[in-house]
Amino acid sequence: MNHQCHWTEIENIFMPREATIVRTATPTPMEKHFTLKMADGKPMTFEPGQIVEASLFGYGEIPLGFASSPTRENTFDLVVRTVGRVSSAVNKLEKGQSIFIRGPLGKGFDLNKLRGKDVLIVAGGIGLCPTRSLIQYIMDRRTEFKRFVLFYGTRDPKQQLFLEDLVAWRASKDVEYFETVDKGDPSWKGNVGVITTLFPKVQITPETRVVICGPPVMFRFVIRELDKLGIKRENIFVDLERRMKCAVGKCGHCQINDKYVCVDGPVFAFSDIQGLEEAI
Amino acid sequence: MTALFIKDKEFHDFVAALVGATPVYAPVAKRSLFAFERLVSADALRLDYDVTILPPKKLFFPPAQELLKFTGGKFTASVHPEEKVLFGVHFYDVKAIDQTDQLFAEKNYDVNYMAHRQATTIVASNIQKVSRRAFFGTVGQEVHPKGHDAYLTKIGTGYVFETFTPKGEALTKHGNFEPATDTQRAEVVKVNAAVLEQCPEKLTHKSAEIATKVRQAFKNEELWRECAVDCFSCGTCNTVCPTCYCFDVQDTWNVDQKSGSRTRYWDACLTESFATISAGGGHVENFREERGERFRHRIMRKASYLNPKLGGPACVGCGRCSSQCTADIADPVRIINKIMAL
Repeated sequence: MNHQCHWTEIENIFMPREATIVRTATPTPMEKHFTLKMADGKPMTFEPGQIVEASLFGYGEIPLGFASSPTRENTFDLVVRTVGRVSSAVNKLEKGQSIFIRGPLGKGFDLNKLRGKDVLIVAGGIGLCPTRSLIQYIMDRRTEFKRFVLFYGTRDPKQQLFLEDLVAWRASKDVEYFETVDKGDPSWKGNVGVITTLFPKVQITPETRVVICGPPVMFRFVIRELDKLGIKRENIFVDLERRMKCAVGKCGHCQINDKYVCVDGPVFAFSDIQGLEEAI
Repeated sequence: MTALFIKDKEFHDFVAALVGATPVYAPVAKRSLFAFERLVSADALRLDYDVTILPPKKLFFPPAQELLKFTGGKFTASVHPEEKVLFGVHFYDVKAIDQTDQLFAEKNYDVNYMAHRQATTIVASNIQKVSRRAFFGTVGQEVHPKGHDAYLTKIGTGYVFETFTPKGEALTKHGNFEPATDTQRAEVVKVNAAVLEQCPEKLTHKSAEIATKVRQAFKNEELWRECAVDCFSCGTCNTVCPTCYCFDVQDTWNVDQKSGSRTRYWDACLTESFATISAGGGHVENFREERGERFRHRIMRKASYLNPKLGGPACVGCGRCSSQCTADIADPVRIINKIMAL
């Protein structure tokens, strides 16, 4: 039997595609913000909340959430925090150079469950990156959604990302934007405290759809606040981070009980994972 | 499907002809142990093996499997399957291969595994000697092996060779086979049924009851902590498991510093860093930080998590983890029976 004729025609899930860097920004000393377009000129078609594996040959691959909305059709954004070998190498890249991409992968935000509803996004730290794909989407198609509230918390003012966005959101009538820092500095005039200290500042209705993304410890405290507000758990969507090596449901690293974050998520309705002991 | 018979002395010639015609991987002796290796002569074949050190998954999913080669920004896939015969696989290992076949093929089809798998003809063989920690007789009895192309059973003065696929049938041209008699076929059934009773270890309950009760024991922190108190987090239980298929992916440079490769390596969920992510600034988040949590994850995966998908447990009772665990704490029979007795 000759199998060699057909396996080369099957899509190989580990083959990346080349993307060219069209713009970079360095919002903090830790993070680099890349705007990319596919080298073959084809659009990147994805949903807010989906992920990619981004790589640099010789260094390796890292999983990242899209940091821009598919409504911005020509390009897409990724934000990389310098934490290890791959991210350190990627963050040395500049405009005109290439990043290799596998994706879009995983399940993003179910927009049909958010459309026509009040939406609250709670983003902590680097959790603003994947949620920015949804924030931009809502802002670009504002009439499809009702009230839009955004909470953003960071450790300190220097950790804030997307500074131009923050300026725009503070001034915008399309989003009720609230921000906080765990620890202020002399220049900071805003709220100081963990992200849950923003809840008393605004009326959140029980019918609001809530999206949460942030460090692992944040989820539990935010959900406690949402419980107090009477928000149903099927209306809470969590965007989870785990170690991933393949992002196609094989390598086992991102497993939470019987679910794979890379293919079953990274966005889950909280009602679908609240029974999983390892989830939150 | 056909059932054929071949006499002992002609069986040797059959294996020799096979080795001459195609690469054959089969159990061979490694001093007192056994391993699946490329068979160089019919004399080296040891169908009387009890269990091999590593399961045959290594032929489709090697410990290090290159995924792609790169030079600068250009890259090519590294799928180069070898047409081969995997000879003398015990039924529990066939069941394990069936599982990895399903798991690598589902959702995102993994051609890196599947190409090697499809290039392989599997000849299963009956278990002539039972290993000292085996429990294949009582685990996942509702699931039967299906991925083999032929099945070889030693009876009396020869072997019955049953074929199940055209690939299995094609092998018969290499030997002087004759149709098996009804008596010989009845003997095959008897021999293969008898070995199920010979396992030194036995699960006390059926798969469905085990899956439910083990899952319910998740929050019994004391149990898992106690189970794992002597665990070295070495991951040997994962490495030798025929149904474990977790992997890491790493890039390496060639000496020219321009080209290199991306390779996947066996990984193990018992190791400390398996579920650890870097958070920046020297901070890490380990989602299974405690040994007991990692130990529990493995038992959950083997006895509960994958059952709905696989139709039975992700354990086939080979006993490799039990016999190769340095601290002898990995034995699924002891852990599961203990939970069932709670």
